[in-house]
Amino acid sequence: MILLQSHSRFLLQTLLNRLHNLDKTIELDYHWVEFDDVRYHIQVSMKNPHHVLLSVSLPTPPPETVSAFYGGLPFGALEAIKIAYSGIVQILDPPRDGFNLTLRLNLSKLPPDEEYRHAILVKIASVREVVLGAPLRVILKGLGSRTAASNLDRLVALVHRPKESLFLIPQAEKVTVVFPMRFKDSIDIVLATSFLQEFVEARRTAGLSNAPLCLWSPTPPLELKGAPAEALSANAGFVTIVIFPRHVEGKKLDRTVWSLSTFHAYVSYHVKCSEGFMHTRMRRRVESLIQALDRAKPDSENSKKTGHNASFKRLSLKEGRTSRK
Amino acid sequence: MDPATSRPAVVIDNGTGYTKMGFAGNVEPCFIVPTVVAVNESFLNQSRSSSKANWLAQHSAGVMADLDFFIGDEALARSRSSSTYNLSYPIRHGQVDNWDAMERFWQQCIFNYLRCDPEDHYFLLTESPLTAPESREYTGEIMFETFNVPGLYIAVNSVLALAAGYTTSKCEMTGVVVDVGDGATHVVPVADGYVIGSSIKSVPIAGKDVTLFVQQLMRERGENVPPEDSFEVARKVKETYCYTCSDIVKEYNKHDKEPSKYIKQWRGIKPKTGAPYSCDIGYERFLGPEVFFNPEIYSTEFTTPLPAVIDKCIQSAPIDTRRALYKNIVLSGGSTMFKDFHRRLQRDLKKIVDARVVASEARLGGEIKSQPVEVNVVSHPIQRFAVWFGGSVLASTPEFFAACHTKAEYEEYGASICRTNPVFKGMY
Ligand SMILES: Nc1ncnc2c1ncn2[C@@H]1O[C@H](COP(=O)(O)OP(=O)(O)O)[C@@H](O)[C@H]1O
Ligand SMILES: [Mg+2]
Repeated sequence: MILLQSHSRFLLQTLLNRLHNLDKTIELDYHWVEFDDVRYHIQVSMKNPHHVLLSVSLPTPPPETVSAFYGGLPFGALEAIKIAYSGIVQILDPPRDGFNLTLRLNLSKLPPDEEYRHAILVKIASVREVVLGAPLRVILKGLGSRTAASNLDRLVALVHRPKESLFLIPQAEKVTVVFPMRFKDSIDIVLATSFLQEFVEARRTAGLSNAPLCLWSPTPPLELKGAPAEALSANAGFVTIVIFPRHVEGKKLDRTVWSLSTFHAYVSYHVKCSEGFMHTRMRRRVESLIQALDRAKPDSENSKKTGHNASFKRLSLKEGRTSRK
Repeated sequence: MDPATSRPAVVIDNGTGYTKMGFAGNVEPCFIVPTVVAVNESFLNQSRSSSKANWLAQHSAGVMADLDFFIGDEALARSRSSSTYNLSYPIRHGQVDNWDAMERFWQQCIFNYLRCDPEDHYFLLTESPLTAPESREYTGEIMFETFNVPGLYIAVNSVLALAAGYTTSKCEMTGVVVDVGDGATHVVPVADGYVIGSSIKSVPIAGKDVTLFVQQLMRERGENVPPEDSFEVARKVKETYCYTCSDIVKEYNKHDKEPSKYIKQWRGIKPKTGAPYSCDIGYERFLGPEVFFNPEIYSTEFTTPLPAVIDKCIQSAPIDTRRALYKNIVLSGGSTMFKDFHRRLQRDLKKIVDARVVASEARLGGEIKSQPVEVNVVSHPIQRFAVWFGGSVLASTPEFFAACHTKAEYEEYGASICRTNPVFKGMY
């Protein structure tokens, strides 16, 4: 299955590019946007060619999660940034206008070891994972170390997508994660619903018995009692995933955090793939029907037709495809 | 207001050879990748040969194959290292020719390269001036139905290349675009943002032919390049060392007099054994680009030099546009990047034009002196992705969003709305 990588491909490419051409002074100023409305701005000025300014803006938090934001960042994010990038980046206060976070990176201060440098740049390119995944990581980490967290058994809402939350119910021995799933397009809703049902079904196959428990329901699960009403409307149902300590041991923690915080993007990608797949099937079908029709034509008509029918839409598709072979 | 209009539009220029993709408002695309898809066909073949009754296996095999594909440089690397992947080039000579591959290619561009949610952005795509309206409908179908884009505009690549001059001078939407890409060369006259369709000229020689010619020259001289690598080496040699000369004979002399100054070295590593090798690069440095000015050295079928094609193109355009067209000849595409390409083009074209003026004056007995014709070949640093850049500029004007077809319109009227895309303000 295709999983999204945690680093931004473009950001990593840009950082590596800059690092390998440090002697050239160029100006760099790029704005771009990733899924879930995470916006980036990277800037290098002629004056300071070794300094990279990286700004990130996060999805608009839904009302139920606003209280968990400190200084424009989700709880735990500032600490997570400090741990991940200690000594390499500087956090600018306040951040650039319109952004939640601005980091200053000095490329000439990176350690000389090639591999280590690369790892650091990958980590910087994964800034959204560090920042947006921070609260989730704090809670899941509490599970791993089995220290009783203060907010046990309470419903926690975390920003997942613009104005949408995911919900957590942390308990001593497990954390239950609930995703209300919403899609805009009516066909997407149908496909996502059946994808999610299959997804839950697949969890039951023998090879996956160690994977987290996974449930889907068309209506809000009991755990969401007390959540705000608009957070409970979801047109593609609710997915519940139960995380046990074994899923967050050591290196697994990072992967689990990333997979959970990009769950919607993952489903959405597969919905789009399914649509592409159906289109492929439909094109093949049209093609074979046209072939059948062609065979049914009397010979004389067959040879006469080819020219002046070229503008007929379906035939032109077929012609395009046969000319390829 | 549609929140998607507050985000930068996604601009993708799908070329025959390379796709340029990125976000509007920036000066460079995020990625330039070869337009190629590597598909794992082994799944499909397996299921077909096994029992037909087992539809479930067949179904899931299809699903797996559907997810197991790569694009761009990754696709090339996969197909080189494993025989389970087959390469498929979705675009031939500027036209989409395999829609399945095209759809997958876009899928990866959007989700894996740009990593954006297509529902969040308006899209600007490009097409060749010769694209049929049906093809635009298919593009619209895929964009609106698979990706649910909120808005779509399909622009003619030559028009965008003209718009790329937008920031450098005052915007001039009349001119001739000479687009020399990887697989096709088009000379396209544009007046006030509209393509003069009947005057478009095509040349069957483009970047790939230069590469093939360089490869052939190196092979004939017996250079020690491993055959499986020779095309790629020829391409890199071309992009790094080739230049346009002013006169072949003089250039041969220069090389012979001072070989140390002109002959370059190429160093590589044999892919199979890992042993290093090196080879010389000589006359191909100027002979490569010469195929545009003296095509007979490469091809026996097509022998009209590019400057003559441009002249013919302008001569066939409406008479009142000709002077303006000669004045603004804009280069676009990777294969116009050779050093001094624009100088040579300008000089050769000027010669043709001046000869005609002299001839007509002679015919009129020297009684009427005509105004001299100004010939101007414009070159700019972003030529390699001028089309993308023009798209980036246009898609960041406020008029762009109004000129797009929206998903609501698509749902109401169907794919046929994608057939036409209005020239909009901002292009002026
Ligand atoms: N610096 C360069 N000098 C000469 N040729 C180049 C250079 N950079 C790229 N090319 C060639 O330009 C071609 C690609 O041009 P492009 O406009 O992207 O094509 P298309 O739009 O048809 O895909 C390739 O043949 C490539 O080898
Ligand atoms: Mg092109």
